[in-house]
Amino acid sequence: MSETAVLLENIRKTYKSALSEKAAAVENISLSVGKGEIFGLLGPNGAGKTTTLKVVLGLVLPDEGSGSVLDFPLGSKAANSKTGFLPEQPYFYGFMTARRALDFYGKLFGLDASERESRSRSMLERTGLRYDSSLTLDKYSKGMLQRFGIAQALINDPELLILDEPSSGLDPVGQKEIRDLLLKLRDEGKTILLSSHQLSEVENVCSSVCIVSNGKVAREGKLHELLEIEDLIRIELKGGKEPSANLKKLVREIRATSDGIVAELRKDALLQVIDEASSLEMEIRSITPIRKTLEDLFMEAIKEAR
Amino acid sequence: MRNIGNIAVNVIKDSFRRKLFLFAFIFGVALLGISPVLPTFELGIRASFLRDISLSLSSIFGVILALILSVNQISQEMEKRTIYNVLSKPVSRLEYFLGKYFGILATIIVILLIMFAEVLVLIFVRIGVFTPILWQGFLAIFLECSIIASFSLTLSPLTSIPINVFSTILFYSLTHLKSGFLYEKLVEGIHGAARIFTWLIYYLIPNLENFNLSQEVGYGKGVSAPHMLRITGYAVLFACAFVIIGFLLFRRKDL
Ligand SMILES: Nc1ncnc2c1ncn2[C@@H]1O[C@H](COP(=O)(O)OP(=O)(O)O)[C@@H](O)[C@H]1O
Ligand SMILES: [Mg+2]
Repeated sequence: MSETAVLLENIRKTYKSALSEKAAAVENISLSVGKGEIFGLLGPNGAGKTTTLKVVLGLVLPDEGSGSVLDFPLGSKAANSKTGFLPEQPYFYGFMTARRALDFYGKLFGLDASERESRSRSMLERTGLRYDSSLTLDKYSKGMLQRFGIAQALINDPELLILDEPSSGLDPVGQKEIRDLLLKLRDEGKTILLSSHQLSEVENVCSSVCIVSNGKVAREGKLHELLEIEDLIRIELKGGKEPSANLKKLVREIRATSDGIVAELRKDALLQVIDEASSLEMEIRSITPIRKTLEDLFMEAIKEAR
Repeated sequence: MRNIGNIAVNVIKDSFRRKLFLFAFIFGVALLGISPVLPTFELGIRASFLRDISLSLSSIFGVILALILSVNQISQEMEKRTIYNVLSKPVSRLEYFLGKYFGILATIIVILLIMFAEVLVLIFVRIGVFTPILWQGFLAIFLECSIIASFSLTLSPLTSIPINVFSTILFYSLTHLKSGFLYEKLVEGIHGAARIFTWLIYYLIPNLENFNLSQEVGYGKGVSAPHMLRITGYAVLFACAFVIIGFLLFRRKDL
């Protein structure tokens, strides 16, 4: 058993159309989703997120590149039987009730009748659709469809959950509910691969991200590592004498606060700054690595990829 | 392969929901509508005539039904994106394609059986003759429908509905013209490379006139068992060929 849930290597995909050869939807995407994490595929509209997820599921066949899902080939029955998928703007058979539709999807996984019954019930409960389960799906609102989409993606108790823009089009309450549900599912040990163009959603739930732009990977890694600005530290000092010229020379930036100073400096200057501060009888209040916001990182990555 | 059944059952349920079974009702009304225009001959001729026109009418209805069922079966699921919720599950594209096809065939069988019963009852009520030999005619209609359905289903993921309808009608016309017109005018009348090419086309498209038994069943005693077997084999051959081509094209289709 490897620790990787999803692996993509140098995926390339150009949609063929009869009229013209279009630009590649996905030019070169490699990523690796670790088991048990929430992995965010982040990118502007048209970046190739949906195409990438479809490649993972075997709905779209890549022109080049390879990959695996839970150590099985992309799109294989073995892989798909342990995966749940919520498509972008999901749509279901409108004439079925939620319960009937879940029953149908359960059948496709080969679940027996009692399993289907009990899993449908608990998934409708979880997604807050218990009281709407006998309504046909064409009467569902957008938010309800999204929640039903998650219910059907969980019907087989999947190891891996793939969600394409799970909270797009939802109001803030709906978004928060989805977020809480995702965190709970992660705590239960599921791996989640989601795509989003909403920075806050990714920032709040994902431990790893892959920023894609124009079909290419612009950044990939653990979110907290990506947000750290290399070598920069912020130190907050209180009291003491006026900052000396020596101190000012050691730091990159210095700013007075009501009862002291805040300075930004390179990591390797830290010990000298501490020495200097103690000779100035200043008290160290905090030392923190400087972080970018996800927005900074996103904009920087997108600009570089252009 | 379990999921072939699940997909097929869903096609049948969807046909119910689309009220396609009203088709059998409309057929009944049409049948009643044309049966009064009977020439007043002796009983035997009237029976033959009734059998003949009801088989012809059934054939038209069957073919239209096959077309309606197949033409948007897959394209609609692609357009509405419901296909994602099926093919992202452990359902292979082969299971999906075959499930759709068998679901269509099952629906056609049910509706043709109702139509068959209607014809038997009508002929019995009008002239007091019970003519079970008509089953041969209906089986032949079903075989023809299975080829039409396989052709249209093959095009379904690839083309828009109007193009599919147009192509299927063209296919239907060609396959019916084939035995007479095409053979005489094309195959006999040209020479050289064009002749070889035309021969190829001639043998690549089925001859759907083989499934028109309205003469034999209407005016005669029907056809022999070996003849039924022969046309069944002929239909299976072409339906399989189209289904295989359809699957191969659908297998690599981006969804
Ligand atoms: N079925 C398709 N046929 C042709 N082009 C497509 C198709 N699907 C997506 N594209 C194009 O591929 C690019 C990437 O699309 P997509 O993967 O949907 O991006 P995202 O999900 O990040 O918004 C876009 O330029 C889009 O227009
Ligand atoms: Mg998308």
